[in-house]
Amino acid sequence: MKLRRSLLILMAASFLLSLPANAYIGPGAGFAILGSFMVFFLAIVAAFLSVLIFPIRFVIRFVQVKKQGNKPFVKRVVVLGLDGLDPMLAERFMAEGKMPTFKKLSESGSFLRLKTSLPAMSPVAWSCFATGVNPGKHNIFDFLTPDRNSYLPVLSSTKIRDPARVLKLGRYRIPISKPTIQLLRKSQPFWKILGDHWIFSHIIRVPITFPPEPFYGAQLSAMCVPDLRGSQGSFTYWRAASAGGKHTGGLELTLEKSDGGWKGYLPGPENTLSKDREELRLNFELKTNGKGSQLVLPDQKIELEERKYTDWITLKFKAAPGIKVSGLVKFMLLKAGDAAELYMTPINLDPEQPAMPISYPGFYATYLAKLFGSFATLGLAEDTWALNERVLDEEAFLKQTWDFYEEREKMFFHCLSRTRKGVLAIVFDHTDRIQHTFFRCLDPGHPLYNSEEAKKYRDAIEQVYVKADGLLARTLAQLGQKDLLFVMSDHGFKSFRRGVNLNSWLWKEGYLVCKDPKGSAEMFSEVDWTRTRAYALGLSGIYLNLKGREKSGVVEKSEAAGLRKELCEKLTGLKDPQTGEVAITKAYDAYEHLSGPYVGNAPEVLVGYNIGFRMDWDGTLGAVSDQVFSENLKSWSGDHCIDPALVPGVLFSSVKLKTNEAWIGDLAPTILRLFDLAAPAYMDGKSLLSDSELKEVSKR
Amino acid sequence: MFGGEKIKIKKDLYERVKKFSELAGYSSVDEFVEHTLEKEIKDLEGSDSEDEIKKKLKGLGYIS
Repeated sequence: MKLRRSLLILMAASFLLSLPANAYIGPGAGFAILGSFMVFFLAIVAAFLSVLIFPIRFVIRFVQVKKQGNKPFVKRVVVLGLDGLDPMLAERFMAEGKMPTFKKLSESGSFLRLKTSLPAMSPVAWSCFATGVNPGKHNIFDFLTPDRNSYLPVLSSTKIRDPARVLKLGRYRIPISKPTIQLLRKSQPFWKILGDHWIFSHIIRVPITFPPEPFYGAQLSAMCVPDLRGSQGSFTYWRAASAGGKHTGGLELTLEKSDGGWKGYLPGPENTLSKDREELRLNFELKTNGKGSQLVLPDQKIELEERKYTDWITLKFKAAPGIKVSGLVKFMLLKAGDAAELYMTPINLDPEQPAMPISYPGFYATYLAKLFGSFATLGLAEDTWALNERVLDEEAFLKQTWDFYEEREKMFFHCLSRTRKGVLAIVFDHTDRIQHTFFRCLDPGHPLYNSEEAKKYRDAIEQVYVKADGLLARTLAQLGQKDLLFVMSDHGFKSFRRGVNLNSWLWKEGYLVCKDPKGSAEMFSEVDWTRTRAYALGLSGIYLNLKGREKSGVVEKSEAAGLRKELCEKLTGLKDPQTGEVAITKAYDAYEHLSGPYVGNAPEVLVGYNIGFRMDWDGTLGAVSDQVFSENLKSWSGDHCIDPALVPGVLFSSVKLKTNEAWIGDLAPTILRLFDLAAPAYMDGKSLLSDSELKEVSKR
Repeated sequence: MFGGEKIKIKKDLYERVKKFSELAGYSSVDEFVEHTLEKEIKDLEGSDSEDEIKKKLKGLGYIS
């Protein structure tokens, strides 16, 4: 027993030594202290130790696996996640012969509409996929959650805390302890359970896996990984003739005239090592003339071509003597000459020197970068705000999105070839981003529908489905008889024509009170919390201002159930006076539809919008006005944050399933059963394969 | 397989916690204990400033 424990410790040490756990400091983006040499050196040490103890590990594993007596029904399970793939559109394209491989798979295996989570949002739904439980047990109810002390919206999935101890050295603040980056998704993912039984998994870009958790497998994080500035992805846009424009999701800066063309500065992350935490900057010159254009940075010169993305460029920001923080960007010269315009992507964490942990083991991101070159690491990497703000046009946005897709496809096929036994789960999210931004070209009823534009970009969404068919064909070609494939999405897609500001509705109905008779700006700045009974935050949730939970709570616990019921009754069937349509098909009482230890953190009321509606843009962050309904005039014209009954996802299976009903949380127990493991009692999902079906699967 | 810090509790309390953690829908006793402790210290922790929050949320496609 002692020997086993010692070996396990040694084995764990070999993993930990390779982690850059002490390599990042500071909150927000944090900085890498260790240079690439040290990361490389530690990786070599870890690899050496790993090789050294491999025979012992092998024997231990062999004995344990034999002792457990598992007899997997399959060799490999591959989960090909296509975020937001819509069953209705898939059916249409299959019927039109544009998705022949999917059609064939649906005939030889199964095709179901996959019931999504309540609410129908990616962080919620993929967490159900990972854990097999309902949101009341995994604690993710939206992208956002309220800070109950300040009522301000914060990210629901991650909490970053400053280092507890800092050494003051003149103008520098050197952290002695690590900052903590906490994953707020609770319960445990199925790959952790598989790993506890020595079944290896590759988990690539599955949402809500940041920070990565240790397990027996390899993982690359995705959704909610920040950029180097600590934001969810903010672009930079320089203009020669800037009038100081303000942009959501980005920053506009002015190019100053210089001898060779233009000069400017590139804003980097906050210097968390400095007392004043000033912004780190790089100065540059943009030389643009008849011979071409060149971007001159302190340590490199980059050739620019108009309307072409550069390759990934590594930027180094000097935080302190000997300490640089590294990030990755792509530039696009939008216009050359006298009216020069330059775009830069958000500064992605450099996978070769990540300022925060983005993979498990820590060197896994570096390993992928060494194999395939630099890649986008930002959680939501496709720059939808640059398109909304018309900094990028449709062509540039699509090019960026498909470029990122190519990076991920390479990783996928590499992982597929490396997964000899066990699980590979990957989520591609270009499917989601392109549908979000091009639904206006499919829907003549959308306020931004323009027949010329629709003609030009009508195929943008169709291409997503057609190319998914090609991906599926290439995947199937790599699979054997003993492998099982699931192709799935977390939700479907619908047009987003009109916004509903739930905060404005609550104000008009008297549940929310503002100090200003005109309402409130974002962040509930003018809300009178001492007289407010309910508030909305995020994309579908209404929270009660509960005494004892919220800082200025006024609703007694004894009143809560009645108030939830009252809100649900009033909201269900709410009509848009301008169009006469029902805007909300059903408002769900969280206590009736969710269960588990975290229901108390959920919005008390989850609003299910009708097709065409969604939470209004301003309302998500707590703005209140006299306008409840508004037109959606952004390129972001498709959405899924509506009544879950209206946006199921897809589930294709390479084996026939007898059931014709499936919920996204059923995948986890199904995968466990395929490896002859019982689903834990706390899981809400049920295996989609009965014992007799599993036996049939094993006979293939 | 992968550890964190360990805290000792009495065996009978552990048994009671185990029973109720299963009933409540936690995936493990560890998760129950962590959740209980998190709830207790939540109010003692400070909140991010509005500027810090705005910065962190910037760029999230779903919100403006």
